[in-house]
Amino acid sequence: MIDVCDLKTYYSTGFLCRTEVRAVDGVSFGIKKGETLGLVGESGCGKTTLGRSLLRLIEPTGGRVVFDGTNITALSRKDLRRFRPRMQMIFQDAYASLNPRMRVRESITEPLRIHGLEDRAGIGRRVRELIEMVGLNEEHLNRRPYELSGGQNQRVVLARVLALEPEFIVADEPTAGLDVSVQAQILTLFRDLGRDYHTACLYISHDLGVVRAMSDRVAVMLKGRIVEIGPTADVLDRPCHSYTRRLVAASSADRGFSRPAPCPALPGSPVMVEVQSGHWVEAAAR
Amino acid sequence: MGDALLCVRGLKVGFPTVDGVVKASNAVDLTIQAGETLALLGETGSGKTVLGMAILRLLQPNTRIEGEILYRGRDLLSLPQEEMQKIRGREIAVVLQNSGTSLNPVLRVGDQIAEAITLHRGLKGAEAEAAAVELLERVRIADPARMAREYPHRFSGGMRERALIALALACSPSFLIADEPTRGLDAVTKHEILALFSEINRGRSVLFITHDIEAAATLATRVAVMYAGEIVEIGPVDAVLSSPAHPYTRGLLESLPARGMRPIPGSAPSLIAPPSGCRFFPRCPCSVGRCETEHPGLVPVGPGHCARCMLYD
Amino acid sequence: MPGRNAALYLSLGVVLVYCAVALFAPVIAPFDPFVISGPPLAPPDAAHLLGTNDLAQDIFSRLIWGTRATLILGFLGAVVSVVMGTTVGIVAGYYGGRIDEAVMRFLDVMMTIPFFPLLLVLTIFLRPGIYVTAVIMGLLGGLGSVRIIRSQVLSLAVADFVVGTKALGARDGYIMARHILPNVLPLVGVKFVTSAQHFMLVGIGLGFLGMGDPNVVDWGQMIERASKNGGIVLGLWWWLIPPGLAVTGISLALAWFAYACEERINPRFQVMRV
Repeated sequence: MIDVCDLKTYYSTGFLCRTEVRAVDGVSFGIKKGETLGLVGESGCGKTTLGRSLLRLIEPTGGRVVFDGTNITALSRKDLRRFRPRMQMIFQDAYASLNPRMRVRESITEPLRIHGLEDRAGIGRRVRELIEMVGLNEEHLNRRPYELSGGQNQRVVLARVLALEPEFIVADEPTAGLDVSVQAQILTLFRDLGRDYHTACLYISHDLGVVRAMSDRVAVMLKGRIVEIGPTADVLDRPCHSYTRRLVAASSADRGFSRPAPCPALPGSPVMVEVQSGHWVEAAAR
Repeated sequence: MGDALLCVRGLKVGFPTVDGVVKASNAVDLTIQAGETLALLGETGSGKTVLGMAILRLLQPNTRIEGEILYRGRDLLSLPQEEMQKIRGREIAVVLQNSGTSLNPVLRVGDQIAEAITLHRGLKGAEAEAAAVELLERVRIADPARMAREYPHRFSGGMRERALIALALACSPSFLIADEPTRGLDAVTKHEILALFSEINRGRSVLFITHDIEAAATLATRVAVMYAGEIVEIGPVDAVLSSPAHPYTRGLLESLPARGMRPIPGSAPSLIAPPSGCRFFPRCPCSVGRCETEHPGLVPVGPGHCARCMLYD
Repeated sequence: MPGRNAALYLSLGVVLVYCAVALFAPVIAPFDPFVISGPPLAPPDAAHLLGTNDLAQDIFSRLIWGTRATLILGFLGAVVSVVMGTTVGIVAGYYGGRIDEAVMRFLDVMMTIPFFPLLLVLTIFLRPGIYVTAVIMGLLGGLGSVRIIRSQVLSLAVADFVVGTKALGARDGYIMARHILPNVLPLVGVKFVTSAQHFMLVGIGLGFLGMGDPNVVDWGQMIERASKNGGIVLGLWWWLIPPGLAVTGISLALAWFAYACEERINPRFQVMRV
């Protein structure tokens, strides 16, 4: 479904002396249809930049993103725009991802209107369908973002994003600011809807517990590179890279997860090594 | 257990608004022993932060406050302003949430800490600066002498939190209130901050306000769970988290991704007009008839373990 | 807050009265402002409410017609200024990069040239009529708004809701019109009112310096005539004071209005007030 090959996104920052920041530095992976890949790493490791580069919301510096056979990185602006509805993004801060001046109804109608999908009555029906699907009701349609709670706003964002029935969603820590019980509501909703629509998803988070619950496979990112990737249980229960081990140790201290099992020694060359079927580790850093 | 250092009795806090009075805290009773860490666990709008701010008397002047907050036997609510000023920082200090605005962006970090030291310990100039560097070292900031001369924007989230802890420790308070110190930090950094807390908490009484169950489990000796302005369950940390008595606590724990991620249906009630009986009644899976009308009291369910629920009445 | 509301309605009322006077000038004014309507330098009486000037023109009628010129200068100038400032500011801020860089460098150069002297030089060379004067003022004065609007658009352009709409496949023009513009409108509105006030005063200044359009009556030219042709020396208050008061009135009303609006327009302020 999605094939990412050697993706690079560099920034130059600094006022007087320009320095290059390699936010994403040669990343490759694939996501199958209906699969969720969790992306973990500390803040500032480049996970958000990676997510946005995949959708070309940030222009990547190099590499390729192939979506369902089409090389997105080579599309013209116009073709890209036509491609957009098939891949969507959910942001961390639901409040900021809704226009503060628009009512919920307008926010959900907007994607339908942009793509000229349906007539007026059809749009009305579809909006009601969507709002109920995310567990809100028609009364919420006339509210504005600041009149809703964080969880409710994130539901509105979900309805807006799902309006176009995307095949691929990048979710960038959609529950980071939410309470545990609200997080559980949003995550189960998100997981169920993803299943219904058979959506492929890149789920970005720093919370291993959430990633474990949400994803089929996990990729661990460190300083712009993916250092370990594989099936969720393999990576989180038998982490091989030293950074993954630290991450797992930090978040499983009091949850009673099994201690990471020792991993076979790897030869020290700077490449990805397959330690188990589908479980790859960057070997040089060990 | 030692003596009660802080004792909150029947605390009611209300914020008058256009739509009515928001009852953020409803008859809260709480005791903190000398040397213990009590975690106040609750979600957004449960009134946990309000409780912390009420102890420090840092609420808006038009807030309605009733009840008693006894600190070493003195009622903080009836102390004159100057007396309270002396207690704040010197005896009771607060570690604020790392929101990016809790440190002044145009002052050097070292100077901000030195300022607190000058204010409370009377040290001046070079002495205060040296003390500030010492504090930064104590919260394990690498190369403290250099970092003391840096501005807050050069600090990462974790380092800023450490600086805030150093600021709170500036005059070695005997009682520390930490308000969501781990919010917004990533897993590894959070782990490090919690480790730092468990070190500085030794021999000190701490009220650890958090929404993070893990953090509470790591640090606290006792946990109080708040819901809609009330304490619904309180007890030793192991008892509360391994065999929760109140249906809300149970729901909260089951919401954790690691414990099944089963959400509690519905949402928290309005604090302007909360449900008349049990405040959790509309969302409760095990409610009985009288839950709707009768307000339950805190009843013992185990040694030192109480829950506000009809099931145990 | 009743005080702020009262200020809003009062100032709005005053502005509307001025507009009505300008609109119905031919009906209200008893005389043609250019014709000889009686003896020169006559004091106020029943026929000539504010007397006559040295050319025996009716001052009250000239005051009424002068409202037109002042409002045209102010509001037309403000429209030009705000439309230009908003369009250029949004485009520069939204696209950023080279477009933004080019606009900003051009502004840097323009901002070093003082506004009023440049305007004077242009009016001397072009001898424009009142409408062209208003457009020139608007273009020159709008340069400042470009900067203000652009800086706000810079932060809006990277806001999640804008990025999210881009991800939905919306065109840039649509995003600028539907998402960026409504969020800078409060600022634009306040800028409109303050620049209208500013341009009115500048217009009066031009008239006073003898650069006004000789084919229309404006308060600046009235004050100029009064001060040059003996109004002050002879102590003819009815010649000098009324246009001055008229200017002060509209200027104050607009300033108040801008103040009162600033808070009202922003939806987030309303939440905070609770």
